[in-house]
Amino acid sequence: MSMDAKLIEHMMNPKNYGTLEGADAHGIGKNPDNGEKVAVAIKVGKDEDEPYVDDIRFQAIGCTTTVVAGSMLTEEAKGLHFKGIYDLVEATMHFLDKLPPEEAACSEMVALAIKAAVDTYAKRLEETDYPVITYKVVHSCVPKEEKE
Amino acid sequence: MKTVMIKTHEAWLEMLMAGFMSKTKNKQVLFDFSDILFRHFTWLENELIELDESYSYDRDAIPIKVERLSDLLHAIIVRLNEIDLQLLSSPDKALAERIATDIHYMVDVLSHMSDEMISAFNMERRLPGMALTQDATDALTLFLFEETYKEYELILIYNYLKAHSTDAYMNRIFQILIDESFFHLKRFGEMGAQMGILAVPRIVMKELYQVDDVIPFLKDGINEELAAKEECIKLSEAVGKESQELAKFFDFINHQENYHIALMKDALKHFTGRDHE
Repeated sequence: MSMDAKLIEHMMNPKNYGTLEGADAHGIGKNPDNGEKVAVAIKVGKDEDEPYVDDIRFQAIGCTTTVVAGSMLTEEAKGLHFKGIYDLVEATMHFLDKLPPEEAACSEMVALAIKAAVDTYAKRLEETDYPVITYKVVHSCVPKEEKE
Repeated sequence: MKTVMIKTHEAWLEMLMAGFMSKTKNKQVLFDFSDILFRHFTWLENELIELDESYSYDRDAIPIKVERLSDLLHAIIVRLNEIDLQLLSSPDKALAERIATDIHYMVDVLSHMSDEMISAFNMERRLPGMALTQDATDALTLFLFEETYKEYELILIYNYLKAHSTDAYMNRIFQILIDESFFHLKRFGEMGAQMGILAVPRIVMKELYQVDDVIPFLKDGINEELAAKEECIKLSEAVGKESQELAKFFDFINHQENYHIALMKDALKHFTGRDHE
C-alpha cells in the first residue's frame, strides 16, 4: 500500500467506524479463506419514496487495508439512493482486478457488506424477520506467489 | 453500571493517548493514571458479572486530535466528572467510593498539569535520530497501525476470558498475556506518537472476545503470533540498513512472541490434555 496523507488520515481516523443505534438493516461481507469479515449497518431515509442510505457504520475483523477501504466506501455510500449504492458496488468490483490481491479482497469484502445491508433492507420489506445477508468474497487475500 | 464501565473504558484509552502525546514528566503520571482506570474498568466489569448483567466492550469514538495537551486533559476531566456523577447509582458502595476518591485525585492533578504543545498528529512519519527509506517508513507505518490495534484487541480478549474464568491456571496465563500486550501497546503507541500518526485503536467486535469455544481461539491465536513473528522479521530486515537500533527492537519483540506461543500451547494442552503441534 503506497501511502499519502489522505490514506494515513483514513488509518488514523476511519470514517463511520462502529455500531449504529437503531439501524434499519445489517449486512456482512466475509472472506471464507481467513475468517475476516466486515459488518455494515445502515439507517434508511426516504426521498420521494425512493430509499437512500441516511447513515452508515461498519466494523471489521481484518487488516488496516480493510479499515481504509471501509472508511472510503462508506463515506461514498452515505446519502446515495439504492440505485447509487448498486452502481458504487459495481464500480468497485470492476476496479478490483487492478489492485494487488490483498487489497482487492479487502475492498470487495466492504463493497459486498454494503450491498448485503441494502439487500437485507429490501428483503425485510417483504419479510420482516429475514436474516442478515452474508456475501462471500471471490478474490483471495493471499498473493499468488505466497499461495503456491 | 454499564454506562460507568463504558465511560471508564473511554477514559482509560483517552488517558493512555495523553501519555503517548506527552514529552515531559507528565508522561509517567498519565500512564499511571491510565493503568488505574484500566483496573477500575476490570472491577466494574466484575461487578456487572456478579449482578448477572450483560455487557460488551462497545464504546464511542474518542476524539484525541489536539494541538495542546491541556485541551485533551480538559476533555478527560469532563469525562471523569461524568463517571463520578454516575457512580452515585452504583450498588457496590465500597467500589464506588474507591473509584470516586481516585477520580477526585486524578482530576486535581490533571487540573494543575503543565501544558505541552503536541506533535503526535503531524504525520511527518520520522523517528527522532533515524533516517528511514520511504519503503521502510511505509512498512513501519502499516505495522504500527496493525499492531497497536492488535495489542488492544488482545488485551480485551484476554481480559474478557479472565473475567469469565475461575480456572487459576488459565488466569495466570491470561494475566501474563495481558501484561505483555500492554507493554507492546505502549511501545507501539509511543512510536506512533513520535512519528506523528497517533490514533485510538478501533472498537473491537464482540464476537472476537465473546468466545464460545476457547480451543479454536487458542489455535488461531498461535497462528497469529507466528504471523506477528514474521512481520517483525520483515520489519527488522526493512529497517536494518538504516537503523540497527530499530532492527534490534523488532528482533526483541519477535523473540518475546516465542513465550506467548509457549503459553498458548500450555493453555491448549490444559484444555485438550495433549500437546499442540
